[in-house]
Amino acid sequence: MPFSMTDVGFDRQGTPLLDGIDADVGQGRLTVVTGPSGAGKSTLLRLLNRLAEPARGRLAFQGRPLHEFDVLTLRRRVVLVAQHPVLLTDSVAAELRVGRPGLGRDDAGLLDRVGLPEELLSRTTAGLSGGQSQRLCLARALALQPEVLLLDEPTSALDGAAAQVMLDLARTLTAAGTSVVAVSHDRRWVRAADSVLVLDRGRLAEHGPPQTLDYLPEEP
Amino acid sequence: MTAAPSWGAVALCTVFVALAVALAHARRLALTRELVWAAARAALQLAAVGAVLGVVFAVAGVPGSLAWVGAMVVLAGQVAGYRGRGLHRARLVAAGSTATLTLLLAIGVIAPVPRAIVPLGGMVVSGAMQAATLSLRQVRAAIDEARPAIEARLCLGLSARQAFAPHTRAAARTALIPAIDAAKVVGLISLPGAMTGLILAGVAPLTAVRYQIIVMYMLLGTTTVTAVLTTYLAQFTAFDAAHRLRPAQAPEE
Repeated sequence: MPFSMTDVGFDRQGTPLLDGIDADVGQGRLTVVTGPSGAGKSTLLRLLNRLAEPARGRLAFQGRPLHEFDVLTLRRRVVLVAQHPVLLTDSVAAELRVGRPGLGRDDAGLLDRVGLPEELLSRTTAGLSGGQSQRLCLARALALQPEVLLLDEPTSALDGAAAQVMLDLARTLTAAGTSVVAVSHDRRWVRAADSVLVLDRGRLAEHGPPQTLDYLPEEP
Repeated sequence: MTAAPSWGAVALCTVFVALAVALAHARRLALTRELVWAAARAALQLAAVGAVLGVVFAVAGVPGSLAWVGAMVVLAGQVAGYRGRGLHRARLVAAGSTATLTLLLAIGVIAPVPRAIVPLGGMVVSGAMQAATLSLRQVRAAIDEARPAIEARLCLGLSARQAFAPHTRAAARTALIPAIDAAKVVGLISLPGAMTGLILAGVAPLTAVRYQIIVMYMLLGTTTVTAVLTTYLAQFTAFDAAHRLRPAQAPEE
């Protein structure tokens, strides 16, 4: 069980953003976190790689309290891809090496997995579209071969076809044993999930397989 | 031969202030009171400083001079820290950085006499303060504007130092540019203050130049040490032990 949350809460400047979260994230499963805007979905992802620290409750990774892990090692095992893509270098090839310089790699394979052509390897990052940037950020994360991939609105900058590539990739990753936790308002992701957490105003409103839920996001 | 102006000559110079006030009044710049106040305040402040320095030179000796410079360091640290407020412990960072000039004073370039320690120390403190101020402003701006990029690096398992390195380098470079530019054009655009003062006091130009070169080199060294140390220390205050950027604090007014 990659993650187990027991009565987890998080405050910002004294105001609870998350409270009483009891949930598990299954190994090799696609877990989708959904709910209205401002429900605390992105904050929940940030708790899982320790970009934020819970104010209450118990948060465990592989059965051990999260804070017992070396935080830098943890962030290589549990990689978060933010909603808004931020490219950190001048070239596509260099971008894939930010998190793991000096290691052997299959750059073309990484691009292919996120639906980007190999020709981009010789390009600079300056001319990339928003959707290409988002996919490159995902490829950069995959280069670390994470055990858990945290995706915040992975298809927000993508058109329908590219969004489907992302969903297919998530399913491929989970089939290979990688756990994926995605914040999404996209119904396709909610329907394709193994498990869904519905957050509402910082609390867990529903939790279970998609077919058991009352909540479904608006159609994209 | 010195050509020191008498107090009568100083009084005569108020004609320039009167000219400025008259012009400001005629053009309705709404600065008449400000000009008078600034002129009066400058005269009073300088007279007070001159009187205190007279006492320091005559009575306090080297310990008193070092105490004077120490007070300037603390004050400069407060001013620089104020510019970086919103950063955790900014004042401490600034004070610690400006204190590095003590090292430069200790190497013995400055003659250990009050007449050298106070004015040269003041120039170095001032340069260090500007470097610390610029560094802290740049670090603050990086934290405010580059937070997504910094967090993107943290999310890839980079340490706080690695994630912040591009921004600390940029901040230090920006802080150093004024001192480097000043050194490049010194004497070409205008004669620097120390050299001007010495020449007016009757010192031979080549002797004045030696003082000025010492001042410029000290300023280059101090600003570099201050900028690098300030940005280096700032990364420890900007991140917590879990390699997380601390939450943004109240923005600068």
